[in-house]
Amino acid sequence: MFWRRKKAGAGVDQEAKEAYFTASQGQLIWSRFKSNRTSMIAGYALLIIILMGVFAPFLSPYDPTIAGRDPNYENGAPQIPKFWDENGFSFRPFIYATERERSMATNFRWVVTQNRDERLYMDFFVRGWNYSLFHIDWDLPGTAFDVDVALIRSDIHLFGVEGGMIHLFGTDASGKDIFGRTLHAIWTSLAVGTLGVLISFFLALVIGGISGYFGGWIDSVLQMITDAIRTVPPIPLFMAFAAFMPDHWSSETRFFFISIILGVIGWPTLARRIRTHLLTERTQEYVLAAELCGASSSHVIRRHLLPSFTSYIIVDLMISFPYMVRSETALSFIGLGLKDPVNSLGALMQNVSKADVLLNYQWYFIPVLFFIALVLAFVFVGDGLRDAADPYSGTKK
Amino acid sequence: MGQFIQFALTRAFLALVTLLTVSLIVFTLMELVPGSCAERYLAFKNTQGAQISIADIQAEERRLGLDRPFVERWGKWVGNVFFHGEFGDSCILRLNINQLLADKFWISLGICLSALFLSYMIAVPIGILSASSSNALTNNSLRLVSYLGLALPNFLLALMIMLVSTVLFGDSLTGLFSKEYRDAAWSWAKFMDFLSRAWLPIFILGWSATAFALQTVRALMLDEIGKLYVTAAAARGVTGSRLLWRYPARHALGPVINSLGFDLNRIFNELPIVALILTLTEAGALLFESLARSNDQQLAGAIIFLLTASIVFLNFITDIMLALIDPRVRRGLIG
Repeated sequence: MFWRRKKAGAGVDQEAKEAYFTASQGQLIWSRFKSNRTSMIAGYALLIIILMGVFAPFLSPYDPTIAGRDPNYENGAPQIPKFWDENGFSFRPFIYATERERSMATNFRWVVTQNRDERLYMDFFVRGWNYSLFHIDWDLPGTAFDVDVALIRSDIHLFGVEGGMIHLFGTDASGKDIFGRTLHAIWTSLAVGTLGVLISFFLALVIGGISGYFGGWIDSVLQMITDAIRTVPPIPLFMAFAAFMPDHWSSETRFFFISIILGVIGWPTLARRIRTHLLTERTQEYVLAAELCGASSSHVIRRHLLPSFTSYIIVDLMISFPYMVRSETALSFIGLGLKDPVNSLGALMQNVSKADVLLNYQWYFIPVLFFIALVLAFVFVGDGLRDAADPYSGTKK
Repeated sequence: MGQFIQFALTRAFLALVTLLTVSLIVFTLMELVPGSCAERYLAFKNTQGAQISIADIQAEERRLGLDRPFVERWGKWVGNVFFHGEFGDSCILRLNINQLLADKFWISLGICLSALFLSYMIAVPIGILSASSSNALTNNSLRLVSYLGLALPNFLLALMIMLVSTVLFGDSLTGLFSKEYRDAAWSWAKFMDFLSRAWLPIFILGWSATAFALQTVRALMLDEIGKLYVTAAAARGVTGSRLLWRYPARHALGPVINSLGFDLNRIFNELPIVALILTLTEAGALLFESLARSNDQQLAGAIIFLLTASIVFLNFITDIMLALIDPRVRRGLIG
């Protein structure tokens, strides 16, 4: 426990005690979370991955769509920048130039060879394709809902290479840069997950809130409906919704629609937890006091009951996040979610499921590693937050 | 005892209501799938060279009773299912669904239940250990292994195992039976052959379900372990695993048992993907086939309904079991 360690001197003790007793709930959670090393490591990893996703266009040297393909390097292996080789040392990292050849000697197949004598030096902060950060561009049915906002528009990228192209994670079958695709995919999957979590959270809050606060027959009816929805397996629900999705929809619209589906299907578990919590909380004296003072139901819910378990809600959101991301990938994998030109982790993983890829193009697996890291980081941070949000967790060990 | 019977009857009634609600949801979902049975029949006739018109489709709809109001058709469907256990014919395959599904559904259910069992066999001890032990290294590595099941996409896991086994043993481990048993009647030898292949989907599904189970067990255990009755028991001199199992674990595992049905749902949800890769011929694959490829409403509806019925039944059983053990549950529902 973090405050017990400070019991060295009496004065310090007093100060620490005061700091503890006057600390807000958020400060307490944060200090408990900080003392958990595993979760902190996971938290840093998560932060890095999220930042990579957010700044994907800046970090990736080439457009991840077909426009940024490298026609001379299809299914190319990752190129790792080097500082030295048998020809000497260089302060600027470099890669080797490649040559593509198709002739009698190569049995009329394209064969890419490395030219170890010709170095391509890396450049930093180079100008490349145009992009915009924090870009929201929804093309929903109906022009009134179209949104096109961007915070930063630029064409400067972190790195590039002189007189050629660099592919840190290799390229796919059409020559698209897998590094850029992976970063953009993280962003897409996170965005789908966030939207889905927010929607399901909102539904859960409203339905669970009503059910838990009013109790009685309203609770019974709502619980019955919640249970019935929880009983139906989500995959057929997804499929039925996906059948609505017309083929001509743009990838952004599909993406938005899928987040909505994920959210609409994911609420019951959270709703149940909120309801259970409210049921125990609403019999407490402070609620009675507020009611006796003439506060309305919505006031009591908003000002007294919700703050009593914000920490639980945050934890629940954090825990349900990896499941959302996973649902997106599963959905994309069976071909109902986002499809290949879109960069989502699920769509990228769909490419891995061929024996040809497993045996010959192992670099296709790099996005999968990011997915694994993302899910693990989320789960460990979620666990850490859960422990930190529990007010009794510090007192027992 | 009277209280218990009352509880059981109320629960049974509630289960029945849930089942009816679910059947309505399932039936509505099936209605949403584009096209109807009548169109499919006639589309087939069309491929055989017959000329068809709108009037033909309408006549066929009348013959199949598709022109009746929605509620009436739902009532008929539910009635057939409840009283005769009859799901009708599949639109596309033109076979009786009961014959078509036969033991396929039981195989799927068996795989899912085994995976559920496996996931809790791992999650309960690790969850309790992780909540109570202060040894960070074992604790974290055990959690890491369990959570990997969630993080590794199950289709990838299936592919890797298939590839490794093809390279090492020359057998891809796909399918549910070896060639010689595929059409044989059930026997001990066939069952053993089934087990020698079914462990793979069970393992994959079980591992990916472990993460969720572990999180639940750990959270519930952490809630209970700090309570005063545990301190009191410790003060009486009960220590170690005896303390954990006798006091907090009993309370913590109640809600876990209660949600087993929904866990089954979660596992079944993953089944079609695994089945697709391992080319398993069971209900999960059939469900995917009928929903995503052939739009076979009748078959899909039957499979989803059977699954939800098993979930409702499992929930009912676990509720009854909990009520037998825990008197608070009995009182909770009535009073």
